Amino acid sequence: MIAHRVMPFFLLKGKRLVKGTNFKGHIDVGDPLSQAMIYDAQGADEIVVVDISASLESRLIDTKVINDMISRCRLPITVGGGVKSLRDAHKCFKAGADKILINTNAILRPSFIKELAREFGSQSVVVSMDVRKNRAGCHEVYLYSGTVKAKEPLIDLVKKAIDNGAGELVITSIDMEGTLKGYDIDLYKKLRNLIRVPAIASGGAGCYDDVVKLFKDTDFDACAIGKMFFLRDYDVVKVKSYLNGKHVMVRET
Amino acid sequence: MKIGIVDYKLGNLGSVYSALKFYKYDVDLISDSKRLKHADVIILAGVGNFKTAVSRLKNTGFWDSINEEVIGRKKPILGICLGMQLFADTSSEDKTNRGFGWIKGDVVRIDSSISKVPHMGWNNIIPHKDGMFRGMTANAFYFMHSYHLIPSDKNTIAATVKYGGIELVSAVRKNNIVGVQFHPEKSQGDGLRFFRNFLESVV
Repeated sequence: MIAHRVMPFFLLKGKRLVKGTNFKGHIDVGDPLSQAMIYDAQGADEIVVVDISASLESRLIDTKVINDMISRCRLPITVGGGVKSLRDAHKCFKAGADKILINTNAILRPSFIKELAREFGSQSVVVSMDVRKNRAGCHEVYLYSGTVKAKEPLIDLVKKAIDNGAGELVITSIDMEGTLKGYDIDLYKKLRNLIRVPAIASGGAGCYDDVVKLFKDTDFDACAIGKMFFLRDYDVVKVKSYLNGKHVMVRET
Repeated sequence: MKIGIVDYKLGNLGSVYSALKFYKYDVDLISDSKRLKHADVIILAGVGNFKTAVSRLKNTGFWDSINEEVIGRKKPILGICLGMQLFADTSSEDKTNRGFGWIKGDVVRIDSSISKVPHMGWNNIIPHKDGMFRGMTANAFYFMHSYHLIPSDKNTIAATVKYGGIELVSAVRKNNIVGVQFHPEKSQGDGLRFFRNFLESVV
């Protein structure tokens, strides 16, 4: 059977790895290449790398950083940050990306998802959405790293992304991101059965049981982990062996 | 032994290259189809869709040179993911073009009423008969695909994989022709081990 995936989530600003809280207050947490090699050695199932300032600065993620990671690591790498054309996507694949992640441009131009899927196949197209809960308890999608609210409701945007050919979704809770207080389980429960493609939950993981709860209470396939790895005493080996002990199927390494 | 990776500008070949370099093999990305004859072992990788792949192989002249080397000269070939699917007769992804037709069978979409499509992530394969999977830690490999190959001759199946109640073919083998649906270049230790087993089995 397919294993639940444990994925370190790398946020980049240019050439450095950063981490913040609720999409703000980013601090430097290291060098992406050395960190990628460490997680590869620990048996991470995949790495997602997103340059969070790329779209805001109208540029593409630094493909040299990606190329260095790919040449030294033996695991799949999903790459995002400022990808707004087939040409940008080609550059990322050429640098060694296995999947392309789009966020802002997927919402602004859903037909772009279709273009990417036609050229590279759905399995290489990941759509990422950043979500914040409003006062009424309703989840809303934000673009440009959480700064601009999308017009359409979350559920419509999710359906549209899948219909256009997204092969995988990343749903990040802005409210929980970097808080170490646990995933927004309500958000992922709300999306149960709606997501007919593999889905990755992101934002809030702070301890082993947060990850167990995600896999027990929702139908998400993968957990993205940031601060818990970068700034706390956890690693992939420990997380996986804990999951294994709680009968959550993970890959042995 | 010279290993030639067919570089037909489709997807990510750098990882295949660097994985083979890990064992210090003599490996090259070959972008000129006339140079394929210098390779002793051919690797055909690639992501994307069947139609784009077939037309790009034909436009670059690789279609004929691959056929010549693999069928004419019986050189070993390893197809990875879409590369393996190209060994089949037909694909439901492309109504006009045919595959190489070396592994009799058809490529069809994974039934999305049973499982999430694409089949994405790490899954344990079930080796059927082949020594290519010896010495593995967990026989877990990375998959990312929406289509799968159904060989009509079951003897060509080298391994399968269980996914949401169905069993998909994860490796095929017929003489000098080997194909895998998963990505050994992305599968950490077991992936590297697979490359070595494959190369040791063909030389």
